[in-house]
Amino acid sequence: MIDILQLACKYLRFNWIKTSIVVVAIALILFLPAALDLLVRHGATSLLTRAAGTPLVLGAQGSPLELVLNSLYFETKPPPEITYSEVARIEQTSLATAIPIYNRFRAGGWPIVGTNLDYYPWRSLELAQGRYPLMIGECVLGADAAKELSVQIGAHVISSPEELFDFAGSYPLRMEVVGILKSTGAADDRAIFTDIKTVWIIAGLAHGHEDVTQAPDDDGTILRREGSRTITNASTMTYNVIHAGNRASYHLHGKIEDLPLTAVLALPHDPRAGALLRGKYLRADESMQMIVPTTVIESLLGTMFRLREYLLLGSALAVFSTLSTTSLVFFLALRLRQREIETMHRIGLPRTRVLGLLATEIAIVIAAAVALALIFSIVFSRYVDLIMLEILT
Amino acid sequence: MKAHSINCFSLIAVISLIGCSGRESGPPAEAAQVKVYAVNYPLAYFAERIGGGAVEVVLPEIEGDPAFWQPEPDDLTGFQGAGKILVNGAGYAKWLDYVSLPQSKLVHTSSAFKNQYIEISGAPMHSHGDGEAHAHGELAFTTWLDPMLAIEQAAAIDAALALPESGFEALKSDLLALDQSLAAAFTRLSGQALIGSHPVYQYLQRRYDLNLRSLHWEPDMMPDEAMWQELQALRRTHPSKILLWESEPLAGIKARLDAMGIQSVVFDPCGNRPEQGDYLAVMRANVARIESIQLD
Repeated sequence: MIDILQLACKYLRFNWIKTSIVVVAIALILFLPAALDLLVRHGATSLLTRAAGTPLVLGAQGSPLELVLNSLYFETKPPPEITYSEVARIEQTSLATAIPIYNRFRAGGWPIVGTNLDYYPWRSLELAQGRYPLMIGECVLGADAAKELSVQIGAHVISSPEELFDFAGSYPLRMEVVGILKSTGAADDRAIFTDIKTVWIIAGLAHGHEDVTQAPDDDGTILRREGSRTITNASTMTYNVIHAGNRASYHLHGKIEDLPLTAVLALPHDPRAGALLRGKYLRADESMQMIVPTTVIESLLGTMFRLREYLLLGSALAVFSTLSTTSLVFFLALRLRQREIETMHRIGLPRTRVLGLLATEIAIVIAAAVALALIFSIVFSRYVDLIMLEILT
Repeated sequence: MKAHSINCFSLIAVISLIGCSGRESGPPAEAAQVKVYAVNYPLAYFAERIGGGAVEVVLPEIEGDPAFWQPEPDDLTGFQGAGKILVNGAGYAKWLDYVSLPQSKLVHTSSAFKNQYIEISGAPMHSHGDGEAHAHGELAFTTWLDPMLAIEQAAAIDAALALPESGFEALKSDLLALDQSLAAAFTRLSGQALIGSHPVYQYLQRRYDLNLRSLHWEPDMMPDEAMWQELQALRRTHPSKILLWESEPLAGIKARLDAMGIQSVVFDPCGNRPEQGDYLAVMRANVARIESIQLD
C-alpha cells in the first residue's frame, strides 16, 4: 500500500502543473457554494439581529433601504438630509427617545457617525480604553477602526474633505481620540463616533473664530462695521483643531433645529407607543418616512435568498461542468499514460494494483482540493469584511 | 435589474460588515435613586426641595457665575453619569454648546415658556463675508428672577423626576409668597427710575414693571472714567438714584455713588450656591433690601 502511495505521489509531483490546476479547480468549485450559503445564512441572522435591535428609523422620503443601511450599518451614500427639529418632533410626542444620526463624512476611509451619548448605552457599547467624548472635537473609535488606523488614546484622526477641491464646503477637522470601544462584531466596530455638533463643525455649519467684535479696525479681517454688525473678510480664522483655548468660541450658525441629520433612531417606550408614533408619519403629505428596519431587511433578505437559490443552481451547474472536465482530464491522462501502464504490467504489477494506483492519485487530488477549499473558507471568513468593503466602495 | 443587483451587493457587504454579535438591547434600566446635576443654583435648590432625600442633587463647585463656567473634561464626567441634568434654557450656560451630554437625561426647564423669553436688543452681530449676519447670546437667561417662571421651571423638574412624594407644592407656595413680597416691595418703587449694574434683571423688570436700564459694571472692579461718564449720560435721560448690584460693590464704588446721590442696593440673582442660607433666604434678603430703600 505504501508503495502505491509513493508511486501516486511521485506521479502527481512530476506532473505538478496539471495536478495544481485540477486541485485548484475542484477546491474552488467546492468552496464557492459553501461560502455563499454560509455567508448568506450567517449574515442574515446578524443583519436581522441588528435590525430587530433598532425599533424605528426616521428619515426623509426616499429609499428605505438606503436609509436603513446608512443609519444602522453606516454604509451606502448618505440619504437625503432632514433637520434636527425632527428629534424634538419625536420627543414632543413623549412616545419615544430620539437619537440623532449624521453619517456623511469619513476619516481615513471610516465613517464618522455624529450622534449623542444616548447611543452608546442603547447599543450596549463598552469602552476598551479611555472615555466617551465630553467635548466637541473629541471622538471614540470602533475596535476595527482603531486597529486599522493604528491609533491610541490621545492620537488624532482628520476628517476627509468630501471633494478634492472643497473650498467652500467642509473643513477638515482634527479630532482627538479619547476612547476606543470594545469589539462587538457589529458595524459599530467600523465607525468613528463623535458628538453631532462636531460633525456640524466638519460640515461648516458651526465654527469658532476670534472675537471679531473686539478686533481693531486695522486688523485686516474687518471689511466694515454697520452699527452693531461687523462684516469680516474670508481671512477670519476658522479653526480646524479644537482645543481648550478656542473651544468656547465655537457656535452654531443658525438655529439648531435647522441643522442637518441623515436619520433619527426612535426608541419607543413600548410597542403601543411605537405603533402610535408610526401612525403620526402616515399622512399623505408627510415629508418624512418612519421605517421599521426589520421589515426592510426581511424584504431584502427575501430577495437575497431567492438570488442565493439562483446562485446555488449556477454553482451546481458549475460543479457538474468542473467534474465533467476533470473526468475528461483524467480520462485523457489515462490514454496518454497507456504505455506507462503497459510497462507496469510487463514488470509484474497486477491490473488491480494499477487501478489502485490510479484511484490513489484521484483520492490525493480530491483530498488536496478539500483541504484547499477549507483553507479558502478560513481565509475568506477572516478577510470577508475587507473584501466586501472593497466591493461596496 | 441594475438596482436589484446593487441592492444585493449592498446586502452582501452589509451582512459581512455587521458580523455576528447580536449585542442589541433596549435602553438601560433607571437607577433607584436619581442623581441630579444642575447647571445653576436655583435649579439645584428646586430639585432639592422637590426630591428631598429621594434625589442626590449635584451643583459643581464653580467660582463665579455658573452661566459663564467653562468646564474642562474632568468636570463633566459626573454629568455624563447623571440620572437627570437640569438645564435652564434661554441660552444659559454657553458651555452646553460645546460639550457632549446624554440628551435623554436633559431636562429643559424653561421649554414650556420659550415664547416668554426676552430678547436682548443690541447684541453685537457679525457675518462672514457675504454670509448671513448673526449674533450670539441674544436671550436674557436669568428666568428664575420672575417667580412665576421659576414655578414653571420647578414644575418641569417635578415632572421629570416623577417621584411618588414630591415637595413641589410646598415650593410653589414659597415661590408664590416670594412673588407677593417682591410685588409689594417693588410697588413702592413704582415709576422710580432704576439702574442695574449688569443686564441680568430683565425678567424681574418685566414681572414687576420696573423702569430699569442696565450698565455693564462689575461689583468687584472699579469702573474707569468712561464708564462713569456713561452713567452720567444715562442719568440725563434716566434720572435714577438707585443702582441694583448682583453682589456688594467695592467700598470705593459705593462711596462715589453715594457722593452722586445714588443708593447701592444688592439684588442677588443667586445663580451660584450662597455661602450662607438657601435660595429663599437670599431672595427674602433681596426683598428686605428693596423694602429698605429710602425714597425722597
